[in-house]
Amino acid sequence: MGLLSLLIFLPLVATAIILLLPTSLRNSYKYIALVFTGAQFALAGYLYSQFDAAATGVNTRAGYQFVEQLSWIRMDLGTLGKLEIDYFLGVDGFSLPLLALSAFVMLMAIGASWNTTKSLKGYFSLLMILNLAVMGIFCALDFFLFYVFYEVMLLPLYFLIGIWGGARREYASIKFFIYTLFGSVFMLLVIVGLYFSVINPDTGAHTFNMLHMMNPANYVENSFFGYINNYHEIFGIPARRIGFIVLFFAFAIKVPIVPLHTWLPDAHVEAPTPVSIILAGILLKVGGYGIIRICLSIFPDAAVDANWWLGLIGIISIIYGALNALAQKDLKRLIAYSSVSHMGFVLLGIASLTAEGISGAMFQMISHGFLSAALFFLVGVIYDRVHDRYIYNFRGLASLMPKFTAYLAIAFFASLGLPGFSAFIGEAFVIIGTFNAESVGTGIPRWMAIAGSLGILLSAAYLLWTLQRMFFGETRLKGGEEWASALVDLNRREQLILFPALALALLLGIMPSLIFDNLNSSVLNLVALVAQYI
Amino acid sequence: MRDLLTISPISMSILVVLLPLAAFVIQAILGKKSTSGIVSLIAITASTLISGGFVFMAVWDNPPVSATYDWFTIGDKTFTLGFLLNNLSVLMQFIVCIIALPVHIYSRSYMKGDPGIHRYWMYLSLFCFAMLGLTISKNLFMLYIFWELVGFASYLLIGFWFTREAAVQANKKAFLVNRIGDLGFLIGIAIIFSTFGTLDLVDLFGKEGIFSQGIDKNTGWMTGAGIAFFLGAMAKSAQFPLHVWLPDAMEGPTSVSSLIHAATMVAAGVFLLSSIFPLFNETVLLIIAITGTITALSSAFFALGQYDIKKILAFSTISQLGYMMVAVGIGAWDAAMFHLVTHAFFKCLLFLCAGAVIHEMAHLKAHGNQEFDPQDVRNMGGLRRYMPKTFALMAIASLALAGFPLTSGYLSKDAIVITAWEWAMHHEGLYLIIPILLIVVSILTAFYIGRLIFKAFFGEFRLNDLDVTHLHDAPRTMLIPMLFLGIGAVFFVFSWNPLSYADAGILQGLSVEYPFAEAHALHVIVPIILTCGSLIAWWIGWRWYVKGSYPLNPQNRWIQASLNQGYLDEVYHKTFVKPTLKLAQASYWFDQYIVDGLVNFSAKAVRSLSSLSSWVDRYIVDGLVNSVAGTTYYTGHLLRWIQNGRLQNYLGFAFTIVLIGIIYLIIR
Repeated sequence: MGLLSLLIFLPLVATAIILLLPTSLRNSYKYIALVFTGAQFALAGYLYSQFDAAATGVNTRAGYQFVEQLSWIRMDLGTLGKLEIDYFLGVDGFSLPLLALSAFVMLMAIGASWNTTKSLKGYFSLLMILNLAVMGIFCALDFFLFYVFYEVMLLPLYFLIGIWGGARREYASIKFFIYTLFGSVFMLLVIVGLYFSVINPDTGAHTFNMLHMMNPANYVENSFFGYINNYHEIFGIPARRIGFIVLFFAFAIKVPIVPLHTWLPDAHVEAPTPVSIILAGILLKVGGYGIIRICLSIFPDAAVDANWWLGLIGIISIIYGALNALAQKDLKRLIAYSSVSHMGFVLLGIASLTAEGISGAMFQMISHGFLSAALFFLVGVIYDRVHDRYIYNFRGLASLMPKFTAYLAIAFFASLGLPGFSAFIGEAFVIIGTFNAESVGTGIPRWMAIAGSLGILLSAAYLLWTLQRMFFGETRLKGGEEWASALVDLNRREQLILFPALALALLLGIMPSLIFDNLNSSVLNLVALVAQYI
Repeated sequence: MRDLLTISPISMSILVVLLPLAAFVIQAILGKKSTSGIVSLIAITASTLISGGFVFMAVWDNPPVSATYDWFTIGDKTFTLGFLLNNLSVLMQFIVCIIALPVHIYSRSYMKGDPGIHRYWMYLSLFCFAMLGLTISKNLFMLYIFWELVGFASYLLIGFWFTREAAVQANKKAFLVNRIGDLGFLIGIAIIFSTFGTLDLVDLFGKEGIFSQGIDKNTGWMTGAGIAFFLGAMAKSAQFPLHVWLPDAMEGPTSVSSLIHAATMVAAGVFLLSSIFPLFNETVLLIIAITGTITALSSAFFALGQYDIKKILAFSTISQLGYMMVAVGIGAWDAAMFHLVTHAFFKCLLFLCAGAVIHEMAHLKAHGNQEFDPQDVRNMGGLRRYMPKTFALMAIASLALAGFPLTSGYLSKDAIVITAWEWAMHHEGLYLIIPILLIVVSILTAFYIGRLIFKAFFGEFRLNDLDVTHLHDAPRTMLIPMLFLGIGAVFFVFSWNPLSYADAGILQGLSVEYPFAEAHALHVIVPIILTCGSLIAWWIGWRWYVKGSYPLNPQNRWIQASLNQGYLDEVYHKTFVKPTLKLAQASYWFDQYIVDGLVNFSAKAVRSLSSLSSWVDRYIVDGLVNSVAGTTYYTGHLLRWIQNGRLQNYLGFAFTIVLIGIIYLIIR
């Protein structure tokens, strides 16, 4: 059993143990979850340290590391050829940082679940299954396997929001589930289409292997998604473009892009704090990762045609998300909309198709991963204490909770892109990369970079305004004395969760090479792959 | 001394930057346990000594030295950390140190007893770290990082008293306005990076750099880059129309205003433009000069009507920064740097003196248990009798600000005004408006600073029901730093010749060659005009404010406009802030009711469709099935009646059937 399999299936062991233990031992569940997630984090850290930065990743098997390939399903379909589905895992510069991020955010989420009391058995086993699924998504190199993990991820989330959530939890969970499923169902069609278009050059059978799908030579001539002699059209749109659009649509819901984002504020607001942390920290990254790993790598030709629109969507998400955040009166909803805005930078960076832009987008994903997790955790701290998070019900919290305010201010400044913190590197290089796109000739005009930078201004506006409204000034609370005594400063557990996240934001802001070193050769390879079609 | 210089100035200059950072970290860890500020003070003292002894002395008038270290690689482009020591950067670094040191000492008594003082020292050290780092950065990316960090430190210090509503409004405003400039800076970086592929100052602007090889600077993108960088400098150096944050920033402690919002950080814009001067083409330079002139004039006008002692000084700072911008715009960035240096001393001193006055007024307020604004000059008067040393120092600083002979301000201001005349005479025509306006501004400057001095220090103390015996000079820990700065406001620190700026060491060290001819006559005429103008302004001020023969109506439209800062804040609120918030509201409405409405509508549509199909299923499809079943059942029900078990009936049926059969046969 390889290391990646171990990483993926460790949570399954935890689930089994939690399910087997009697409910009388329910207080031990969180420790089991913590130990297993901790082990995962250690393992991910080990993988990160052992990773060979020279590996080029993306489209060759040799470019991946810690590869595991077993044949999983083989079926003779008669005239349709042989069905070939592999259990195929591997990581490159794109997936490895996200893997480490997931393990980290999972740890934060377990820490944030410490005081959960409602049906612990179900809660922690679902959390562990979710953990399994996200790890699987970032490792899978077989499209079928990827899809399995992708769908498995939805199930625990549905229940976690629907059972442990807030007042409108049922509405939010259904909306989330159906919205995401809506995207992925069409993805399945494209997967099947790809399957029938691609042939494994070694066995001659159709395959779900993503790496084979990235090589134009493996496409059957005249097949639905083939490169050569492909006259297939749907509604007058070439088949390959349709494939790209459908896959992009599926992942874009996850990112989320405007206007497919409305599940996010509801899901975030209704979800319990740990699930918000996972949603913002990991789930949104699945979207960005999917666009890079699948849309860009399998359909580079279509990506080159469509990137102007991708960039436009990115800018709209940035500005529209920021404007909406400015209008919010619920702190959690504000953070949710700020996620929309910040993930817009990811899309803009990817659309630029320059090395700086894509690296910036990846960096922004990592940075947003733990910063948004920290922000949702901070919101959770207030909500835990007084069960309110309406901005105008609070004032002058800084005098009451100095430590909390310090952490929150650092998290706010880190997210608004203060140099020295990670988000700055991400956003700055997205802007620089987008600006550079015109020189490289990828078709993204420079005004997009300038428009995108407006989002940086707006994010400063809504975050500082919140800081001023809620934390500064004379203390005045809606709940009066009762609230004032309930709003105690951070305890040690809460600091233990927040400190590493913010320290990491600072560390990556000062030493971005921690990410870039492992990322660079994969990015260059991807850019080269796409550049053939410019 | 010589062998000391063998220590690498680069590593020494890095040490200068890192010491305040260490102080920041230590203070952050110690927290409330350390309130004396001794950590920060030791750090800045050491920085000052090292910067003066090992960096400035070693590099000034020697060839530039620089060092570059790889930082990180993106794709195949490597970004570096670099340190550049040339005359410009070591001068700036040294000045920052030498202004920061007295301010630290002053703060020890000025901020004594404040409950948040541990934060004060932390923020102050953070600021020093960022500002000192900014001065020696070798590439634009690194410069940008420090550029934003000084803004961040400034945000923290403006909002130091965070329970005051005005303070937290002001720091938000300062950060946001500066953000606009930062975006300009970032776009500028992007343009430079995508055009030249490097951000290194030496590679770009050095002796063998890209720009000295004669590239075409008159392209649209180069103009764009110039304007973008200038936008950054405009926000940081409070140039019209982005100056609005600086007067509000006076909500911070006065010691902070003196260091950050008068002497160092706000001058960073001028420093930036001087560092990247070769980038600018004629168009951009003209824009800079015009903006500088407008800033100098408008702020001098706003300063005339202010009553808050710190706001007068704030507008004066903006106005002087305008002078420096004009100097950059006419190509005399050495004069700009010279004025930056002299201005740092006398403006910092002015603020520290104002701080001493405010300190005393606040004490008086606490003693007398009365409500009045300790910063309002209308509440002062006659203070020279109670605070003679403060008065003397403030008078010297005011003379320097007005550019009176024998002061340092005289030298640097003349350098700018005279060079501006030479520049304008070279270009002729409308260009002459700029130097004329500069002279007008200079006279206005003399008037408003005279007004401040006359109102605060002359006449009688206006709050006569208070016990004036509580008013006395500042304690020695405050006076000594002030005295030190006072020395810096006198001519001999910069030039042995009190009447001509040509001998000033700074100008000679920076040695910029102007593309226009020197006009000797101007070197005599301009100083005479400026000095006479100042004297007349003071004579009028004396008559108005000391003798009490004030001829104007305070409700006069012009005076009101000056007091309200030209109503710019209101205009901005109406044209930018409100519409943005409205747009935010609108987009949230759009999000809730249109975007999400569409989602919910489609959910509803699907649900209605499914209930429709459920209806169809129940009443049409299943209805058909049920009606078949029902028909069968009914038929069966009907026929069941036949099977009733009575023999007679069966026989009767059989008979009937037979009868029907017979009838049928017959009829057929």
